[in-house]
Amino acid sequence: MAKPAVIVVGADKGGVGKTTVSRTVLDYFNANNIPTRAFDTESPRGTLMRFHPDITQIVDVTSTSDQMKIFDTLNSSGTSVTVIDVRAGLLSPTLAALRDIGFLDAARSGQITFAVFHILGPSIASLDEIAETANFMDGAKYFLVKNFINNTSFFEWDQATYNSYFHRIKNATEITIPKLNEMAYEQVEVASVPFLKFVANKGTKDEPANYSFVLRGYVRHWLGNVWGEFDRIKLTEIVGSKDKSNTSRAPTSEI
Amino acid sequence: MRRTPVYIICSPRPAVGKTLIARALTEFLVLQRGKVIAFDINLREPSLLNYLPRITETAAISDTFGQMALMDRLIVNDNVPKVVDLGFHAFDDFFKMIAEIGFMKEADRRGVDPIVLFIPDRDRASIVAWTMLRETFPNAAIVPVENEHVLWGELPAAFGRVRPFRVAALPAFLKSIIGRLNFSFTHYLRDNKDQSSELHQWVRTNYTRFRELELNLILHKLG
Repeated sequence: MAKPAVIVVGADKGGVGKTTVSRTVLDYFNANNIPTRAFDTESPRGTLMRFHPDITQIVDVTSTSDQMKIFDTLNSSGTSVTVIDVRAGLLSPTLAALRDIGFLDAARSGQITFAVFHILGPSIASLDEIAETANFMDGAKYFLVKNFINNTSFFEWDQATYNSYFHRIKNATEITIPKLNEMAYEQVEVASVPFLKFVANKGTKDEPANYSFVLRGYVRHWLGNVWGEFDRIKLTEIVGSKDKSNTSRAPTSEI
Repeated sequence: MRRTPVYIICSPRPAVGKTLIARALTEFLVLQRGKVIAFDINLREPSLLNYLPRITETAAISDTFGQMALMDRLIVNDNVPKVVDLGFHAFDDFFKMIAEIGFMKEADRRGVDPIVLFIPDRDRASIVAWTMLRETFPNAAIVPVENEHVLWGELPAAFGRVRPFRVAALPAFLKSIIGRLNFSFTHYLRDNKDQSSELHQWVRTNYTRFRELELNLILHKLG
């Protein structure tokens, strides 16, 4: 069995699209037949849980019992990839907790694959977050995600300042999530299904649905672009999927 | 189940006869199939809606609501042919949108046959747009329309590899007759007893060519 991989998706700021990115990652692994489980730290509500209820558990990542639930089962869960959607404000505390339990050391020694998707917001505070988060990134794959899905303009950023932060971090990779048509995004929210099911015109229990063809088309096109980014960073290889030549198939209306 | 044709009459250029051809085709389809829905996406040109108000709906593609209202109906295989009269202002946005949402591929899967009737003139914009369409939709039925009144000669060489749909020019006085809002091609065929008249032959020839076009596309699909 491949060594376990943990992907943390987070930001210290709220409303920057952490759960949206987590959803695209789960859809990507689903399309590539990589068994995945997810933990939603937005206790007790759980937005990720709403879209991927079959593979998601709600946890409080700061509690010891829930940390055990996540990390003591990495080898025994039957899934090779664990995605943790960290709620706003908890990224740095979560990384600190991972350091304290020795998880980061295990990642550094190659026993575990560890990747962080750090979702950046438009404010200058995000740049400070990068510096703070970078302290924990030795041994991890660090991805800085510029999320344009909600039309973020990153207006407060001075590119030179951003570059100075970006280049300070060894092996950081930038990912861009493009904008999705607002109405299409809203419709997926209302449907409460994974993006992939929406494209395939299916409801929560795989029953035939009646979503707009236009909106499904926009989601398919957008999801294809997002997956293109994941292909670019070789996400399946990072999590140790055996078929390294395999790139994701495009989202299709037939699943 | 029988497949549903969706004709898209288009050009990146104004005043090349889009609405005329959309009118003639819509009337032909009414005669042939009994029912047609036409969509008028013209912002500033003479409008199909003015000629065939009972079977024509206006459509807009500038926002997502309008796109849904139009495309969610064009994608349905309901055995009712659709005709889209696409104004030149909307040309780029329309084809960009249908490429993005994957209309051509999904239409084929659902038993809908999009047929693009492209009306060029001698302007470079026509060749650029034609090339774009052929590259963006390599497997789609895209037919150039050789409108004699616009080209006054053969199609430019860039269109040479595809057999065009030919429309003969009419004398000015006959053009003024068919330009009347209450003129109907089918009623004219039925009511005018002089089958040798130029207009009678013009309408009949076009109807025959529409039928041939449909047959050719069916044979092409079967082959």
